[in-house]
Amino acid sequence: MKDISCRLLVLGAGPGGYVCAIRAGHLGIDTVLVEAKKLGGTCLNVGCIPSKALIHAADEYEKALHFASGENPFGITTSGPVLELAHTIAWKDGIVGRLTSGVSALLKKADVKIVEGSGKFRDGKTVEVETQTGLQVIRASEIVIATGSAPIELPFLPFGGRVISSTEALALTQVPRNLVVVGAGYIGLELGTAFAKLGAKVTVVEAQSRILPQYDGELTRPVGKRLRELGIEVMLDAKAKGLDDKGEALSVEAADGRKRSLAADKILVTVGRKPMTDGFNLDAIDLDRDGPFIRVDDKCRTSMRGVYAIGDVTGEPMLAHRATAQGEMVAEIVAGEKRAWDKLSVPAICFTDPEIVTAGLSPEEAKRAGIEAKIGIFPFQASGRALTMGKEAGFIRVVARADNHLILGVQGVGDGISELGSGFSLAIEMGARLEDVAGTVHPHPTRGEAFLEASLRALGHPIHI
Amino acid sequence: MPYDLIIIGSGPAGYVCAIRAAQLGLKTAIVEKWPTYGGTCLNIGCIPSKALLHASELFEQAGHGLAPFGVEVSAPKLNLKAMMAHKDATVKANVDGVAFLFKKNKIDGVRGTGRILSAGKVEVRSEDGATKTLEAKAIVIATGSDVASLPGVAIDEKRIVSSTGALKLSAPPKKLLVVGAGIIGLELGSVWRRLGSEVEVIEYLDRILPGIDLEVAKQFQRLMEKQGAKFHLSRKVTKAETTKNGVTLTVEPVAGGEATTMSGDVVLVSVGRRPLTEGLGLKEAGVTLDERGRVEIDAHFRTNIPGIYAIGDVVRGPMLAHKGEDEGMACAESIAGKAGHVNYDVIPNVVYTYPEIASVGKTEEELKGEGRPYKVGKFPFMANGRARANRTTEGFVKVLADEATDEVLGVHMLGAGVSEMIAEAAVLMEFKGSSEDLARTCHAHPTMTEAVKEAALAVEKRAIHI
Ligand SMILES: Cc1cc2nc3c(=O)[nH]c(=O)nc-3n(C[C@H](O)[C@H](O)[C@H](O)COP(=O)(O)OP(=O)(O)OC[C@H]3O[C@@H](n4cnc5c(N)ncnc54)[C@H](O)[C@@H]3O)c2cc1C
Ligand SMILES: Cc1cc2nc3c(=O)[nH]c(=O)nc-3n(C[C@H](O)[C@H](O)[C@H](O)COP(=O)(O)OP(=O)(O)OC[C@H]3O[C@@H](n4cnc5c(N)ncnc54)[C@H](O)[C@@H]3O)c2cc1C
Repeated sequence: MKDISCRLLVLGAGPGGYVCAIRAGHLGIDTVLVEAKKLGGTCLNVGCIPSKALIHAADEYEKALHFASGENPFGITTSGPVLELAHTIAWKDGIVGRLTSGVSALLKKADVKIVEGSGKFRDGKTVEVETQTGLQVIRASEIVIATGSAPIELPFLPFGGRVISSTEALALTQVPRNLVVVGAGYIGLELGTAFAKLGAKVTVVEAQSRILPQYDGELTRPVGKRLRELGIEVMLDAKAKGLDDKGEALSVEAADGRKRSLAADKILVTVGRKPMTDGFNLDAIDLDRDGPFIRVDDKCRTSMRGVYAIGDVTGEPMLAHRATAQGEMVAEIVAGEKRAWDKLSVPAICFTDPEIVTAGLSPEEAKRAGIEAKIGIFPFQASGRALTMGKEAGFIRVVARADNHLILGVQGVGDGISELGSGFSLAIEMGARLEDVAGTVHPHPTRGEAFLEASLRALGHPIHI
Repeated sequence: MPYDLIIIGSGPAGYVCAIRAAQLGLKTAIVEKWPTYGGTCLNIGCIPSKALLHASELFEQAGHGLAPFGVEVSAPKLNLKAMMAHKDATVKANVDGVAFLFKKNKIDGVRGTGRILSAGKVEVRSEDGATKTLEAKAIVIATGSDVASLPGVAIDEKRIVSSTGALKLSAPPKKLLVVGAGIIGLELGSVWRRLGSEVEVIEYLDRILPGIDLEVAKQFQRLMEKQGAKFHLSRKVTKAETTKNGVTLTVEPVAGGEATTMSGDVVLVSVGRRPLTEGLGLKEAGVTLDERGRVEIDAHFRTNIPGIYAIGDVVRGPMLAHKGEDEGMACAESIAGKAGHVNYDVIPNVVYTYPEIASVGKTEEELKGEGRPYKVGKFPFMANGRARANRTTEGFVKVLADEATDEVLGVHMLGAGVSEMIAEAAVLMEFKGSSEDLARTCHAHPTMTEAVKEAALAVEKRAIHI
């Protein structure tokens, strides 16, 4: 096979890699994208998109249950809903298929060459790819590592059989009767909640003393309450020990030290994700590390000239839109533009029920940074829009500097507030003060009015509370 | 003891003004002729209409929307009484909330119809006819608006209804004729279509939703037609006759030509709202009205009579609750000697249909009219992952930016849930932000708001996902 020479090679076609390649293509850079599995990476194939599709379908099913029981304030009744999970999964696969073929079309339109196969470094300028038709050698003046991440496996509970990762959970065609989720992080709780709504009896086992340890207790309280309402048992300070002798249940050491055996058709292990640094001969170029991650600077440059890294492989927050933003930036840097990572806020969303949104600093983080902060909270109980929808749990919280009212962070928890996160980020990026948000007319009736009211409250004069 | 401030009318303009004034230490009274506070918005406007829009959308979903997700249910049954009870409970929670806020802020609520005797004096007539006179250093007129009527079409709130009657029909009419394709007509038309009515809309202009960006309005009309609504544009209704079984309208082409008739079980008249100034003693007090019957004010909400102010639907500007609230806040601050200000260039507007419409700033038509060169960036929800996952791929986001400076001049959205996405654009425009500012802000994945970022990128022809 003839060697390829190009200006830019991108290794991995997740949201970091494929966006980097498209942007580079737009900028006229001759670009090759190497992908071992499927275009779109974790996010499109086994992450964000399929999980949100399943969560949405589960929400719809739960609504239908409320219609059937007549237990809704809206006066709607139907017969008991029938769930065809195989149909749901087929629908989800259809979406994934359309989005990934969309990515393929976008790459073609941007004149990006796609090479299918697993790539391996030969040296800092050369990658060899095992394609179906043989070994393809690619030489590039610049290389972007965008190999993403993979689920962490517990040594005493290896994946296989009834022990599954998020990937298999998103492909189940039958709702498990008993589902045990190990790890109460966002992926575990999102999927656990969805399966509970679809009818599974769900137990969550978490080693720490609270759910969603990356968020503060104020934000997670409404989620914890909802988990209980859904009949999900949450075992905190509990250690998963491994399968029992028969291999049909999970042995757990509960908080009080007692052993419990949890019957489980499926055990979903969601204890985090690890950067993908194996399997492509990274040792050949011996890059500096930052713990398990590849160390990068504010331009996503690694310790080797001409080699960049973006996305999950570079560390937290492991989020698709961070990977995307890094990818865009690197493409522009390669094209000679002056860019650096100067984001004040990468919003994060937890698609639990209710949803959690965070942007910028939490009150705790502001305190740790030694900043005296003013905090304003507005509950959805006092929001007209929340009342019209009959979903009043949660609040929005603003964190601002006490001295000049510069907004440092905005967080919230509530039904459907995932769509508010980008607006919070924009306010932070624009350097908004409390007065700026308070002085912006927010449309009525919307949940977003709570952002304005929280800002007013931090200033000491809210209207609707 | 005289008050510092008396406000006439407790709608969103009036009650927000009262609360802000009380916070600033002014001794405040608010006069309201209805039995509950909150005005049009909370009693017969935004809140009850949104409660019914939400509930009826769920009903439609139960009927049609679930199967693609693998969830099958039988055809849903409607208990309209229960749905109305949800609406009423929502209204009650909201108006009780305002009463609570008045107490908390030590605002005197005064029941009765207010009339200005002169600057500083308001007469209040209670239902039993008794009157009393209150005195204050300043008076704010916040009497809002009332349904505009159409000559030849007498509203009886049974067969021929305004929005108020349309919010409490006892059964879905078999056929509902909507006169006027503005926001209120299309929202309430949507409610009843979802609950089973056949809906036809008659509009005087050659387009629906005047004031909304034309491209958005046109695409939305197609979507509503797909949902089953019928539109008759460039038609005027000249007469209505109520019969035993319904109403017959006489309809004429605006351009001239033969009149025809159309019959329906119920007719909704939604041809706009007019400022409410009658019986307020404005003439006697010497307060000037403008050419459209609104109370004339300057940039600080002052009428021509010192000590008398006006805010909300009764003055110029869009008739929107949040515009009234912002004026109420600014007016209270001005009266208290602070600097209150409303930026009329950045007032978002939402239509709560399915899909929703949300916009802020200039439309393309307005920019063309001003001769201002602009760039357009557009992105369809069809190419957005979250929209795919939610099966809400209709619509698009459009960003309009100044050709020379890149300042964002207008943002227009058509799509599910866009009501919650427009505030971001409003904050941006308050900063005179550019499309680049919007494009460089990290938007969370997977959300519908990624389409806003992509539309901003498209302004410079560098969208990623299209
Ligand atoms: C269940 C789940 C839900 C999630 N939900 C969200 C969410 O709602 N929002 C959010 O922001 N994030 C979410 N995430 C995280 C998100 O998916 C990741 O942050 C994102 O995909 C990271 O993008 P990336 O480009 O860095 O890597 P990835 O998407 O992991 O892509 C890396 C790609 O590189 C390829 N690759 C690796 N090694 C090689 C090699 N040697 N040769 C060729 N190709 C190679 C892989 O096959 C893969 O396609 C979720 C993740 C999971 C698992
Ligand atoms: C069906 C419908 C849906 C709507 N939906 C929305 C929406 O979604 N979003 C939005 O922004 N806007 C919406 N609006 C418009 C919104 O309701 C008005 O813009 C808003 O209520 C105006 O506020 P206001 O305070 O100026 O007046 P109003 O709300 O009209 O309040 C005026 C008050 O003054 C009282 N009053 C009048 N005269 C006297 C007197 N002489 N003495 C004592 N009291 C008096 C009245 O009884 C009333 O309570 C909607 C309107 C309708 C009809």
